[in-house]
Amino acid sequence: MVFKKKKLANGLDLIGEVNKSAKSAAVGFFVRTGSRDETKQINGVSHFLEHMLFKGTENLDAFEVNKAFDGTGAQFNAFTSEENTVYYAAVLPEYVIEVTKLWIELMRPALRDEDFNIEKNVIKEEIAMYKDTPSFDVMDRCRSLHFGGHPCGNSVLGGEKSIEDLTVEQMRNYFVTRYAPDNMIFTCAGNFDWGQICSTLETFCLKWQGQAVARKLEHFEGSKKKERIEKSNLACEHICLISPCVSFRDPRRFAAALLSVIVGDNVGSRFFWELVDKALAEVATMQYSPMDGTGALYSYIRCSGKNVSKVLGIVGDIFRSLSHEGITKDELRKAKNKVLSALVIKNELPMGRLLDLGFNWIYLKQYHTIEDDVKAVKAVTVDGVNSLIEQFNPGDFTQFSIGPACNESGQH
Amino acid sequence: MTEIFDKHILKNGMVILGEPMEAVKSVAFDFMLPAGAAVLAEGCCGAGNVISDWIFRGAGDRNSRQLSDALDGLGLHRAESVGSSHITIGAALEANNLAKALDLYADIILRPRLEEDQFELTKQLAVAGVYSLDDEPRHKVMLKLREQFYPHPLGRSTVGDINELKELNAEKTREIVKNNFYLSQTIFSVAGKYEFDAICRQVENLFETDHQEIREPVMLGPKAGRYTHINNDSAQVHIGLMTETVTPSNDDYYSARMAVSVLSGGMSARLFTEVREKRGLCYAIGARYHGLKDAAGIMCYAGTTPDKAQETLDCIIGEFDRLSDEISEEEIARAKVGLKSSLILQSESSSSRASAIGHDYYMLGRVRSLDEIKDRIETTNVDSVLSFLRKNKLEDFTVLTIGPREVVVG
Repeated sequence: MVFKKKKLANGLDLIGEVNKSAKSAAVGFFVRTGSRDETKQINGVSHFLEHMLFKGTENLDAFEVNKAFDGTGAQFNAFTSEENTVYYAAVLPEYVIEVTKLWIELMRPALRDEDFNIEKNVIKEEIAMYKDTPSFDVMDRCRSLHFGGHPCGNSVLGGEKSIEDLTVEQMRNYFVTRYAPDNMIFTCAGNFDWGQICSTLETFCLKWQGQAVARKLEHFEGSKKKERIEKSNLACEHICLISPCVSFRDPRRFAAALLSVIVGDNVGSRFFWELVDKALAEVATMQYSPMDGTGALYSYIRCSGKNVSKVLGIVGDIFRSLSHEGITKDELRKAKNKVLSALVIKNELPMGRLLDLGFNWIYLKQYHTIEDDVKAVKAVTVDGVNSLIEQFNPGDFTQFSIGPACNESGQH
Repeated sequence: MTEIFDKHILKNGMVILGEPMEAVKSVAFDFMLPAGAAVLAEGCCGAGNVISDWIFRGAGDRNSRQLSDALDGLGLHRAESVGSSHITIGAALEANNLAKALDLYADIILRPRLEEDQFELTKQLAVAGVYSLDDEPRHKVMLKLREQFYPHPLGRSTVGDINELKELNAEKTREIVKNNFYLSQTIFSVAGKYEFDAICRQVENLFETDHQEIREPVMLGPKAGRYTHINNDSAQVHIGLMTETVTPSNDDYYSARMAVSVLSGGMSARLFTEVREKRGLCYAIGARYHGLKDAAGIMCYAGTTPDKAQETLDCIIGEFDRLSDEISEEEIARAKVGLKSSLILQSESSSSRASAIGHDYYMLGRVRSLDEIKDRIETTNVDSVLSFLRKNKLEDFTVLTIGPREVVVG
């Protein structure tokens, strides 16, 4: 694997990791923008804009864009989070340049009125779909409760009202301030020719102009509020817990990731043994989400209404025992084994590698080999994890629940 | 690209398949145990989910905790699934831990402890799994659709029936494990970095038994209803529909796959273009091929708000109807590139390959090479796909909806 990088005169970063033995390549644009970069008035614009990029340019309509992608056999898509919008494609080596040219072209979209109006319906359907997915809905609502007025609490999808009121003019303005070349990176991984990639990007991207508005960063401890809403059509209680943690730039993020595996991996974790193995909860997991300037531990628990008090009592006990006694050496050893093998397996696919390369560059402006990450995981100590627990006290969390009206009655 | 496949059959009939992959450090394996939802006795719907959890709650010398610790200690990423024909248990891991993992899996398959107190817990979890389906209408609609579409018992729910699960006891479930973890019909597949001779020796030591008689196949009953609606105060109406097509062993299989690709292979395919891009009716819309050994269908999902549900269904059925009228050369060319490229992209993952070779062997009695599949895709053309569609009309839809409003199936 060979790492390559280049910065174009307008600030666009190009990075790549060449692996000639791969059967495919993955390419993508990472844009440093997401719902946290929105105001309340335009909430949802980053994600809506991501949809609109597929609607074409001055020279291509949406159907031509879709045909062009499908003609390369690419597996392509995009996603938007609180702080990044990522456009990617996994493709056979002979189509890498074609797909790259297509993405380049789409990064300067037409944003036509008629496309905007039709796509608004699709966005509203997406919002409705996630309302019918309580495991997602509860996380979204809990994030907003946790972050309160901090911009990381903005919903990625936006609300029905903010989407309804959004104008194409507002979207065009947002585009100009966020899709500036110094706020984007182009990443590629797998089997491709770096020289060809560079000359393609130089030819077509150098004319991109503008400078992005900087993002304000501040760590946030969270509101620690507790709320619950009822929905008559639900059968189970869906609970989300969020507590603050270290940011992506903090080298302790490896310890934080291991902590989340020890507490809430889907098998063999503390949540698993105390809640799932005993059939008190059907699902109980924890994930660490490192972000820009802040971070969070998210737990998701699904159980029957009659078990809610018991489950929350046990969760409290688990966090108390973590604070008082810390983790054990054996727990850390097992968590490392799981994290290390996941790292190896994920990075065997150019698509998996692309995401790690891109995010390391977005947050750190650094290249990390897989071996660097393996070393960093191996270097985490019991004391390192315990001091993280001491500093952030994961038992002091924000909590949001969605469940049926008959909570605690023992009925489904 | 030429691949090598490894194959060895034990005296008892258990099949060992392997696909070496040079570029990876991982290995993945699957045991396909012939205990899927469709092959279980009447009255046990959901037993598969209980079993796939219960067997991990202690096996051989290890209790539940010790077994889990041993698996975690190998950094193993477990995957268990219950399908129509099999319970599949497998894992992906770093290659040097494979032998230790296989020892543990032999205990899990051949010597699970199946203790009474653990049974109650695992049953409660399975029951909770059925209830939680109510909160995932997108998933539930497709599961219910298969139940309605396939001749009984092929579409039997892989999650379970709440009443039958509640009636299930440890003794009955032990019996199912004993009768269905049938080595002569078990397929073991491995892909990635491994040494085949060593695996064969180890699997032979662990799993060789006397020859076992092949069991009778299940008898198929009738199909259920044509349209079913489940009322739910959800934000969207979740629509599932399915129509019959040829099975994977049929000569026309590749024509069926091409037809589905023209309909829903990519973003330029017809359903996405007509339903989402032109009309903005849905966010999620797509159709896919769903094949069992004895029956197969093309299944389609769409989720849309109640006011648009009827228009969405009509538009989808219109596209299915229109497919046999005309297909362009361009559409066929894009479908070919799409199918071939996804084949190669998946071939880089050890888990995908382990699952694909096991699945092939069960369906066809042999493993297809990527070249063979590519050639077969290449031999299809506009005329062959159209003549297939005219011979095998996409009609007689089974439709299922979950939501606040019913639709009319024309």
